Amino acid sequence: MAFRQGIYSIGMALVQVETLSNGLTVAIEEQPWNPGVAFQLLIPAGATTDPAGLEGATNLLEGWLWKGAGGRDARAFAEALDDLGVRRSSGAGLEASYFAASFLSDHLEKVLTLYADLLLRPQFPDDALDPVRQMALQELASLEDEPPRKMFTALRRAVFESSHGRNPTGTAQGLKAATPEDLRKDYQRRFTPQGAILALAGGVAVTEGLEAARRAFASWRGNAAELPQARLSQPHSIHLEQKSAQVQIGLVYPDVGIEHPEYYASRLSTQVLSGGMGSRLFTEVREKRGLVYSVYASPGGVKGYSYLGAYAGTTPENAPATLQVLAAEIERLQEGVTQEELDRAKIGLRTALVMQQESARSRAGSIANDLFLRGRVRTLEEIESQIMAVDLGRLNRFVAENPYTRPWSATLGPAKLEVLA
Amino acid sequence: MKTTASALEFKQARLENGLTVIAEVNPEAKSAALGYFVKTGSRDETAELAGVSHFLEHMVFKGTEQRDALEVNLEFDRMGASYNAFTGEENTVYYGAVLPEFVPRLLELWSDLMRPALRPSDFEMEKNVILQEIALYQDRPQDMLMDWGPSFIVGGHPFGMSPLGTTASITALGQQQMASYHARRYSPSNLVLALAGKLDWDRALDQARELTQHWPKSEAERSYPSFSPRSGEVVKPYEKATQSYLSFFARGVSAQDERRYLASALAHVLGSDGNSRLHWALVDKGLVESVGADHLGADGLGLFMVSAQMDPGNEEEVIEILRREMDRLEAGGVTAGEIERAKNKLATSIVFGGETPMSRLFNLGLGYQYTGRYQPLSEIAQRVNAITPSQVNALLEAKPFSQGFLFRLVPGKP
Repeated sequence: MAFRQGIYSIGMALVQVETLSNGLTVAIEEQPWNPGVAFQLLIPAGATTDPAGLEGATNLLEGWLWKGAGGRDARAFAEALDDLGVRRSSGAGLEASYFAASFLSDHLEKVLTLYADLLLRPQFPDDALDPVRQMALQELASLEDEPPRKMFTALRRAVFESSHGRNPTGTAQGLKAATPEDLRKDYQRRFTPQGAILALAGGVAVTEGLEAARRAFASWRGNAAELPQARLSQPHSIHLEQKSAQVQIGLVYPDVGIEHPEYYASRLSTQVLSGGMGSRLFTEVREKRGLVYSVYASPGGVKGYSYLGAYAGTTPENAPATLQVLAAEIERLQEGVTQEELDRAKIGLRTALVMQQESARSRAGSIANDLFLRGRVRTLEEIESQIMAVDLGRLNRFVAENPYTRPWSATLGPAKLEVLA
Repeated sequence: MKTTASALEFKQARLENGLTVIAEVNPEAKSAALGYFVKTGSRDETAELAGVSHFLEHMVFKGTEQRDALEVNLEFDRMGASYNAFTGEENTVYYGAVLPEFVPRLLELWSDLMRPALRPSDFEMEKNVILQEIALYQDRPQDMLMDWGPSFIVGGHPFGMSPLGTTASITALGQQQMASYHARRYSPSNLVLALAGKLDWDRALDQARELTQHWPKSEAERSYPSFSPRSGEVVKPYEKATQSYLSFFARGVSAQDERRYLASALAHVLGSDGNSRLHWALVDKGLVESVGADHLGADGLGLFMVSAQMDPGNEEEVIEILRREMDRLEAGGVTAGEIERAKNKLATSIVFGGETPMSRLFNLGLGYQYTGRYQPLSEIAQRVNAITPSQVNALLEAKPFSQGFLFRLVPGKP
């Protein structure tokens, strides 16, 4: 049945990856000491592949799925999961939808069977769609009451000319236009096992987990849906006018991709910039000048395109200085970092890796993410050795050759800022 | 717990200066977490000092006589520590997690920081940061809902003091006021040092003794005025809101009360995500963007809290349904099936709460601050497992929800 197999070692644990003949990839990390199991089921259907005119279709489908599946109505289905004590979350994202669950190991088989009902045998009752739509419209409206999120939503729309700029919640027009028939057809097309990933971590043996996954999902069928290529605009600035107490500032800089040979050098340089409270941005913007409560830069991206996102929130009178210092610090990175900064960056990244190993939920999430973005799971040893292999000369060569310049920028606040010469 | 339960070991000691040190040692963990739990928060402030606990928490990171702010931040980063602090109505908590080899260094750093220098220049600089933080929350109505909400039900009780303070109270606050607040409240007898994960207890204890022996003692009392919750309703128009936000509060049980597990189960039945009375009545009908219910067991008092966010056009209907569901709960009680499901989910949370030293640390430190004793996860699991519907229904006999307080934060000019 399996055509691709591999065993990766992560510390003490092993990750086994197998792709079923229907296209579903199953990955399992054994944590024999763990009485619980967590999984993340990722399906590459998200806002980027919402049909034109039906922006928000994935969001509606994700909500509608929970309105009854298999032989159970919505309430009976929720009760069946609660009977097994399943803690769960799910969501429609930009590029993928995800279903996460954690529970006690003994229930694995039953829980997977219920999730197979959810995805393979949804009832999609007509009369349950409108409440889902009403919720989604309220979610969209609430963006107005969350200025940081509102700013980033607008900024992403400015960066991408492709559908990667969409708001995963959808548009009012798209949400209102979707009919039950449209959505059922769309579901058949996009929620398929091709490209889907089921990552399990915790107290589960590989053979037992694979068997359970196979029994639950082997009958799932469907063709792969095409994923769009990211297309970018030319870097530019936008401003959103709002009578807010704070000005929100967001910057997006092009970055090297995850397959770039110096990818880990770029992660270390980001860590120098914003890895801890001793990092450059926190020190210069908050500690020395008291300009903000929150300032950071963090790697972001979509499949095929990576960027560095930066954020600061400040009162209107401090906004020009904040923007100036923020951008200057990011661009100054090309002048190089010190050995001490590199040492701190390394220990920060390594510690985060070790701590991730302690949580089944984090592991399931990272394994699914690696498989989606890279098509493989990185081992802890691999990441660690890549990080350790970056010495000061190599890092400083990298930052000199790959400076962060010419960002897209967004501001939200009472008045437009003079942005970046 | 399958295999780790036998490996866990609880340790405790009281030092001569009054500081309590506790640890849950887990030799199988890959990391360790430790922190100081200070029994102080906004309820220990006067109106004049509003926000001082939280501001002081920020000032702790500004350094001591031997370290300036930059050196503090660098030292955390040199250990690769994952760390932070938070301040609430009743507790100020400083915490961090590191690889096991850095435990002595992290302990030294946090212990040093508990005696901050409070330099006037840092004080003025950090005041700006606090004012920025207040401005951030002011732009988010859902944050202001929770900042203002509790004050209505608790009336003049100090539990209603906002942890954030106000722009005016923070602006007016002086460095000397903070220094004297610190001297009063950060007495060793008012702190618990908690550690969890892979660590050497004897070494940590010796080190803590040496690091804190010079800490002066003071009387850090907390007042416990009687708690008489008010019932009623307040509507507050807020210019920055485009959606409507509701919070409903009702009398619950305290963090010391053995019935706190029952109260959690009851809140679960009323408003847990995905399957609860309010889920089916409001979320399933598309009337709200979100709704949730929770129980907060605090020091000597407790509150049930329900909060919801919705389109202003749905507000009246949502309030009517909310009241109807709470009436129905009080009149008919919970069912055996509802309690069974709530218990199953709580059991899963307990298991996953034991995964990392960091998540154990909060449970360990806060639990000890409130009850003065250690509760292993296995004991909490037993307590949850023993819950019966009739015990939960007994909580409803006093009709807490009929006497609650509704706070509505709605769009509009004040």
